Amino acid sequence: MTEEATIHISSAVVSVLPDRRDEVLRMLAALPDVEVHHADASKIVIVMEAADSGILGGRLAEIACWQGVLSANMVFEQVERLAGTGG
Amino acid sequence: MSLSRRELLKAQAAAVAAAAAGMTVPAVAQPVAGGVGSLEIKWSKAPCRFCGTGCGVMVGVKEGKVVATHGDTLAEVNRGLNCIKGYFLSKIMYGGDRLTTPLLRKKGGVFDKSGELTPVSWDEAFDVMAARAKAVLKENGPTAIGMLGSGQWTAYEGYAATKLMRAGFRSNNLDPNARHCMASAAYAFMRTFGMDEPMGCYDDFEAADAFVLWGSNMAEMHPILWTRLTDRRLSHPHVKVAVLSTFTHRSSDLADIPIVFKPGTDLAILNYIANHIISTGRANQDFVKNHTAFVKGTVDIGYGLRPDHPLEVKAKGAATAGATQPIDFDAYAAFVKDYTLEKVSELTGVERGFLQELAELYADPKRKVMSLWTMGFNQHVRGVWANQLVYNLHLLTGKISEPGNSPFSLTGQPSACGTAREVGTFAHRLPADMTVTNPEHRKRTEEIWRVPHGIIPDKPGYHAVEQDRMLRDGKLNFYWIQVNNNLQAAPNSSRETYPGYRNPDNFIVVSDAYPTVTAMAADLVLPAAMWVEKEGMYGNAERRTHVWRQLVNAPGDARSDLWQMMEFSKRFTTDEVWPAQVLADNPNYRGRTLFDALFRNGMVDKFATTEIPVEYENSEAKAFGFYVQKGLFEEYAEFGRGHGHDLAPFDTYHEVRGLRWPVVNGKETKWRYREGLDPYVKPGKGIDFYGQPDGRARIIAVPYEPPAESPDKEYDIWLVTGRVLEHWHSGSMTMRVPELYKAFPGARVFMHAEDARSRGINQGAEVRVVSRRGEIRTRVDTKGRNRMPRGVVFVPWFDASQLINKATLDATDPISKQADFKKCAVKIILV
Repeated sequence: MTEEATIHISSAVVSVLPDRRDEVLRMLAALPDVEVHHADASKIVIVMEAADSGILGGRLAEIACWQGVLSANMVFEQVERLAGTGG
Repeated sequence: MSLSRRELLKAQAAAVAAAAAGMTVPAVAQPVAGGVGSLEIKWSKAPCRFCGTGCGVMVGVKEGKVVATHGDTLAEVNRGLNCIKGYFLSKIMYGGDRLTTPLLRKKGGVFDKSGELTPVSWDEAFDVMAARAKAVLKENGPTAIGMLGSGQWTAYEGYAATKLMRAGFRSNNLDPNARHCMASAAYAFMRTFGMDEPMGCYDDFEAADAFVLWGSNMAEMHPILWTRLTDRRLSHPHVKVAVLSTFTHRSSDLADIPIVFKPGTDLAILNYIANHIISTGRANQDFVKNHTAFVKGTVDIGYGLRPDHPLEVKAKGAATAGATQPIDFDAYAAFVKDYTLEKVSELTGVERGFLQELAELYADPKRKVMSLWTMGFNQHVRGVWANQLVYNLHLLTGKISEPGNSPFSLTGQPSACGTAREVGTFAHRLPADMTVTNPEHRKRTEEIWRVPHGIIPDKPGYHAVEQDRMLRDGKLNFYWIQVNNNLQAAPNSSRETYPGYRNPDNFIVVSDAYPTVTAMAADLVLPAAMWVEKEGMYGNAERRTHVWRQLVNAPGDARSDLWQMMEFSKRFTTDEVWPAQVLADNPNYRGRTLFDALFRNGMVDKFATTEIPVEYENSEAKAFGFYVQKGLFEEYAEFGRGHGHDLAPFDTYHEVRGLRWPVVNGKETKWRYREGLDPYVKPGKGIDFYGQPDGRARIIAVPYEPPAESPDKEYDIWLVTGRVLEHWHSGSMTMRVPELYKAFPGARVFMHAEDARSRGINQGAEVRVVSRRGEIRTRVDTKGRNRMPRGVVFVPWFDASQLINKATLDATDPISKQADFKKCAVKIILV
């Protein structure tokens, strides 16, 4: 939202049908700027990164409608100036 | 620490998400919102603006603008989660076409109904509006004045509206568009328990052993509650989920018992389950004997169409649709005995095995059951019956008013309960479940409102669908619509809604934030402040009252609905609108403005603006010189305290993430009607349905009756309307969020591939969806998220460029007057 370049880092919880979990994990792995941080039998925690929140929300809306996904909800978002992330 | 800052942030984000999801992972950091932005962004709490779930969100403001929102980790409802619509809350106020000035239809510099919408000042807008209202009052009296609000009003706004209309203009023609949403639920609560709103709460999600979704697609419509349900199901293997619908949708993916039934036949399934419970000896005889009473409802009650419609003329029970007669358990058992497995399987098209499994969920005394429903039951020509029939099942088995045993009516609007129902905006209601037809209720209301006796009219006003009919017929001539998009939302809109708006005898005012189709059909458009542009209070589906502060200013000349009503009331004096006899008996009210009589009454204006923390704006306090919201709250709270609707002290609500009423001795009530859980149940009572004079909930015997219109040779397929995940209701907010628009840009007709093929239609082809009343053009989807059975199509109604309500039928439940948007007949024609 600021004029200077920022990076948005967001986490989300994706609930999945257990028998579709591995398939969803594979599809998540194929998405750009999406990392899987934790997964149990039916829940996957992902962290997404993008230049603005719209991209993140759009990506989550897409994931929410995949087969095997029961819900995908955003949890946390941090906005950083690009210069400050060091990574 | 070898992690780079970016990696650290990601690990922190993941840890917060894992905590929100209840997953155990190594702790990395505590949640801190905002990063470097937290130094510049001011965060405050608010409930979400969309559905009735009532999630808590944190709203980030920077330089006078909402720049970010995230799920509130302290909110019990959503525990930090934020669904996809909620994620984009920060964008709903900033659509490029936000209304910022009043617009009046003018020609040659003066008001003309056939003129163009032209920017005017608030003074000119209110001058013309007041002159029209006064002319209508003089010519046709108070019953020619009407207002349509909604469950999107803050509770303060709904409360001010009910006062202004009933005690100010002396008209009960006030209704919320919640009439289209959950009137059936509200009537069923009153008929069964004598009190509105659920006895349980969302804590039931973590205690139930079975969930039964009656026509509800929670995965798309209530995603956060759905997440709580799926968590329970997937972490406890014994838990079962039954999903009943007229088509297969995303919630069906989790179903252990997936049931697709023929439209309208859910009534028969409900009676079959009751029969199964009784015939297998699993009725809870103690509970039934001590806490219930049996009644029989009037049958053949018609379809709430215009009285001269052949179906109404034919309906023998239409005039006494709501009447009931006492019966006993044996008579009830004999009545449901007809609903055999064989007969019901045949009627509904559902496999017997699934019906038996479903019935066992309720019959098994060891299994705690949560039943959930929204529009599938409520938008039903027998919606009140459907609601009551599911209460029958919980009452027959005693599965009610305790953790996990919970018949639960979900809502679609953020304050469907808090505003539409609790403060009394239905055409027949007063605050705290009271009604205009009851002289004692009117008297008590007049006392709390500090207005003379005899002011509130005793006849219920026009309900939402009837308002449209009366506008068209020229009997309702001055009509103010706030916070809703009725021309898109109302049934049979081309024939029954639009003509009334353009009727030359009528003056239509629409207050909205955006130029909706309704606003564009108005004579006067008033620009409205929305959500955190004003201080507000919402009440969610679990009786949770949640308040927020004004966090930003509305753009341009946009003003809150509350300011609009209060400011407008200054233009009327009691001598102009109240009966001469009442004024003669109460001379101290003479010559006062309605503003003085209703809002400067010693209570609403009791609290100083200095009570508002200096860091928050309050436009209404600034305009009127007192803390309007607190005054309205305290006056409204008088109705409920000691009457089962107790609210906490006002200031408490600004500290907490909402509380579930009744709040007694500082404690909220999670489950009503059971000793130990509800302070209103006296020791030794066990269970007390104290809303009923005899303390007994009603079990009703009513039959399956067919829908108002079914497919025939010409109109050969069922039309069901509804919603999608990405858009909320008429799309006036979500369609203005670019990412949500892109995710689901336009309505379409979901159809079975064979139904399409047999009509020569391919996936994606353009078609006409045509009913006897109207039609739209759209595209066919045979492969999308909704998988239709043969003979049924589904069209969502969020898309203003494809107004599917031109095709729907204005049949209503004859008791609740709620329209049935789920069942009418159409044909699909390839373009």
